Amino acid sequence: MTTTTSSPAATSTAAHTESVTKVYGAGDTLVTALDNVSVSFERGKFTAIMGPSGSGKSTLMHCVAGLDTINSGRIFIGDVDLSGLNDKQLTRLRRDTIGFVFQAFNLVPTLTALENITLPMDLAGSAPDQEWLDTIIATVGLSDRLSHRPSELSGGQQQRVAVARALASQPAIIFADEPTGNLDSRSGSEILEFMRAAVDKFSQTIVMVTHDPLAASYADRVVFLADGKVVDDMQSPTTDSVIDRMKSFGA
Amino acid sequence: MLKVTLRGLMAHKVRLIATAISVLLGVAFMSGTQVLTSSVSASFDKVFSDVYASIDVVVRSTNKVETPFGSQRTRISESVVPTVTGVSGVEAAEGQVVGQIKVLDKDNKPLVTAQGPPNFGLNWLTSPSLNGWKVAEGGTAPTAPDDIVLDAKTAKDGNYVVGDTVNVSVTKGVQSFKLVGIAKFGKLDTWGGAQAALFTTPTIQALVGEPGMFDWISIAGKDGESQQQLADAVSKVIPAGTEAITGKKFTAESQDAFQKIIGIFSTFLLVFALIALFVGSFIIYNTFSIIVAQRTKELALLRALGASRSQILRSIILEAFFVGLSASIIGVGFGILLAIGLNKLMQSIGFSGPDTPIVIPPVAVVVSLLVGTFITLLSALFPARRAATVPPIAAMRDVAVDRTGASKRRVAFGVILLALGAFMLWFGLNGNSDSGLQIIGGGAFFVFIALTVIGPVIATPFASVLGWPLQKASRITGRLARENAMRNPRRTSTTASALMIGIGLVGFIAVTAQSIKVSTVDAINQSVTGQYVVTTEGFGSTALPQSLAADLNAVPGVQTAAGISGTFAKINDSSKVLLAVDPVSITQVIKFTDVEGSFTGLGIGEIAASEKLAKDKNLTIGQPISATFLQGGATTLTLTSIYKTEFPMQGPGWIIATDEFNQVVPPAQQTYSAIYVKLKDTSSAGVAAALPELQKVADTVPGAKLQNLTEYKKAQTDQVNQFLQIVYVLLALALIIAIVGVVNTLLLSVYERTRELGLLRAVGMSRRQVRSTIRLESVIISLMGTLIGLVIGIIFGWALVTALADQGITSFAIPWGQLVIIVIIAILAGVGAALYPARRAARLDVLKAISSD
Repeated sequence: MTTTTSSPAATSTAAHTESVTKVYGAGDTLVTALDNVSVSFERGKFTAIMGPSGSGKSTLMHCVAGLDTINSGRIFIGDVDLSGLNDKQLTRLRRDTIGFVFQAFNLVPTLTALENITLPMDLAGSAPDQEWLDTIIATVGLSDRLSHRPSELSGGQQQRVAVARALASQPAIIFADEPTGNLDSRSGSEILEFMRAAVDKFSQTIVMVTHDPLAASYADRVVFLADGKVVDDMQSPTTDSVIDRMKSFGA
Repeated sequence: MLKVTLRGLMAHKVRLIATAISVLLGVAFMSGTQVLTSSVSASFDKVFSDVYASIDVVVRSTNKVETPFGSQRTRISESVVPTVTGVSGVEAAEGQVVGQIKVLDKDNKPLVTAQGPPNFGLNWLTSPSLNGWKVAEGGTAPTAPDDIVLDAKTAKDGNYVVGDTVNVSVTKGVQSFKLVGIAKFGKLDTWGGAQAALFTTPTIQALVGEPGMFDWISIAGKDGESQQQLADAVSKVIPAGTEAITGKKFTAESQDAFQKIIGIFSTFLLVFALIALFVGSFIIYNTFSIIVAQRTKELALLRALGASRSQILRSIILEAFFVGLSASIIGVGFGILLAIGLNKLMQSIGFSGPDTPIVIPPVAVVVSLLVGTFITLLSALFPARRAATVPPIAAMRDVAVDRTGASKRRVAFGVILLALGAFMLWFGLNGNSDSGLQIIGGGAFFVFIALTVIGPVIATPFASVLGWPLQKASRITGRLARENAMRNPRRTSTTASALMIGIGLVGFIAVTAQSIKVSTVDAINQSVTGQYVVTTEGFGSTALPQSLAADLNAVPGVQTAAGISGTFAKINDSSKVLLAVDPVSITQVIKFTDVEGSFTGLGIGEIAASEKLAKDKNLTIGQPISATFLQGGATTLTLTSIYKTEFPMQGPGWIIATDEFNQVVPPAQQTYSAIYVKLKDTSSAGVAAALPELQKVADTVPGAKLQNLTEYKKAQTDQVNQFLQIVYVLLALALIIAIVGVVNTLLLSVYERTRELGLLRAVGMSRRQVRSTIRLESVIISLMGTLIGLVIGIIFGWALVTALADQGITSFAIPWGQLVIIVIIAILAGVGAALYPARRAARLDVLKAISSD
């Protein structure tokens, strides 16, 4: 892990897309979800993707994360071109170099909090870095909840476990899909602060899809999508500047 | 609400397939076997009514002994024939002889085996109104003492043409005849598949050893008089000890006797159909439970919108009714196809019964439909009640989780049921009730239900223990599989229970059979002191001639050859198997010990009883025992010996001397069922050296089988193995249904865990790991059912063996090898059951799974 955040090295992007197009359906029901999208996500940065419903923001994230396929264009995670990978290689990529935080149903109900955190490493059959694990667990404040099952945790605690899991394998990039969508504002801010801290302290790269301007204000940069196209790119956003930008979509 | 039901049905049709299959298979088996047995029974009914069509009245002896194959009667004298011929209204009266004659093929081997159709030796009737046989062109009826006529089928099977010499085997040995004609009965080649050899009356009378005697007298009446009137008229003139009955009644008796045998067979099959349906009911219960659980939100919404509890209940019940009825209808259809297929199969493998047109008895169809539908309804009742109790608020909550844990009520109810079942088993096994078998069956039923009730309580620890090694071996997939098996204890245990029943019965049968085999071999080892045994598949008049024992005795090197005979006799008013031996020679080859009196002194007018029999019936030496035999009728014997032997085939324990036996059974039945041979030189070289000479003598009797003691023991245990195989095949259906249940549960679980699987895939679980998780879960469920089943089976087996200890089953033996194989098969079946669900799970669209709301 490098601590520099502004190195101009060739590999400064954790992931990027080149003219990605994604359509659903055919004929009359044809929907263009992503229309010639080229965007890059810098290493060690916290990027938010925003846009009104149906703008394609979730689709973009799913495609970049290797969960969905595209019709044309190319997607890279680091130097790896996703279009050349089969299911097995994509699975391995997700397991080893990508972390996920979903809006809901983030945890396997039959496993304890700790088991959920180490799940990707267990699936890989590799031993977790104990020191790193302790650091994350301390950061998200879950030390006394490790042996609990998800059903015994509050929504906020569940999301903290999910964040810890995403961080645990030290992935090249973490994708968060509306991670605070189901939480009250206090729990939501906690989660956002953890993610911010992960970027600041550990130089973690995070890409977050959200529709919440307050959440977006934690990011270093906001990419705005509308009708499947990138329509704006804002550095150092604040809640107000994001709200102003969103108003212009009229949605 | 009907609309909701129908929509629900359509929406869940895939999930209801397993329910439909489990009902369908059970119903198909039930209706198929009933249709088949009814058809066979109907075709034999027709054979009997055809064969006896020309008979209006039958005169026969009143002295009879009941056997499991119908009643046997003594023959009556030919002097009765002229007596009845004089009765007005009698058109013709002729004596009929029905003996057992084995027609041999050109290699002097019996044309039909003992398991095959019966083989009759008959006299050729001369009156056209009574004789249904017609000799085909180119032949004549038998007129000379050495003439024989064969039915067309037998002639064809033996490749015989008119003019050939035909050898037949009778009690006295092999005799040669000249084939003078080939006959058809009406238009038929055969008497319903039975072998018929026809002779002149004196010839067949001599062959069966009773000159001047007939089995019965057939009478054809003149037109215009009813059978009953004629029978009444004949009754007035016939001597005491004989009776006249109508042809109708005579036919009905034969039909009834045969129906009884078919009925036993049919009931036996029905038991297995019911077991299959019982197992199927678990699948139905599980499917509906899972569907109800998965529809909780939908049901709650309906409740919130104003549907009443009873409307919800009715909608689920209606859904079950539709599924049950349609599956039953298809099941009956398959059942009829099954019957047709089996009928064809039976005929193609040489079961040469009569042509059996398939008869579909409406009762079998209606009962099958009712049973299938009723079982579906009953099994869906509990899930439906649970559905009805879904509160409207559940619409707003997360999907409910299974809260079935170690509820005290559940445990208490289970324990009560278990106690009831155990008591019924104990009572059935130890009581002397006539309905013992039904009570035992009911007891087993309650034990299985009790285990199912307790199941959810033990499922979690069980899955935990079984899953532990898997978790150690395959880390995360094992861990998840174990947790998945534990997370829904009711579902896991119901699925496992379905398997438990089938495996429990397999284990029970395996243990019982093993115990019987070990006990039999032990008993032979302890009692038989001879080195060779001659056996035969035949019995009664088709068994070994007594002269064979004398011939074997004459072989150099033989110290003693002694035979055992068996017959049915009425002793103290109930029909029993009774053995006959020559007490002096038999004790040279089989160990008998005197408890009281002298066994070797057993003579004419005397009877011996086993120690157990004497104890059970409180018999004392010198006591008179009333007995009725075929020959000579009722007589009184004196009990002169109470003996003890380990010999396994002794029946209830009555033994008479062969000298007495020969006076009380017809000459044709004066045979041995087995002859035991003891050599002078019992060294292995001596035993081997004696073989060629013994073989030569044994070969003089068609169908006789010479075995050394090892082969003899193997033959005895092979019989048990044969039965075992039949039962296994019949239980396979229940096991298949149980496996369908495992597949079903896994599929529904995969469906239910779509999001979880999507999450796992998203964070890096490979398809292979997904498959492995489902597979391991399946193996845990299968192993749970198998292991509990085997434990139950062993306990049931132990209970039965213990109860039968005084019937000669002295050893309790567990066939460990077989049980290990069963466990391995269960693991493989678990893996097999998981194939499709695992593929489904691995193919899940990750994105759909995680974004579905």
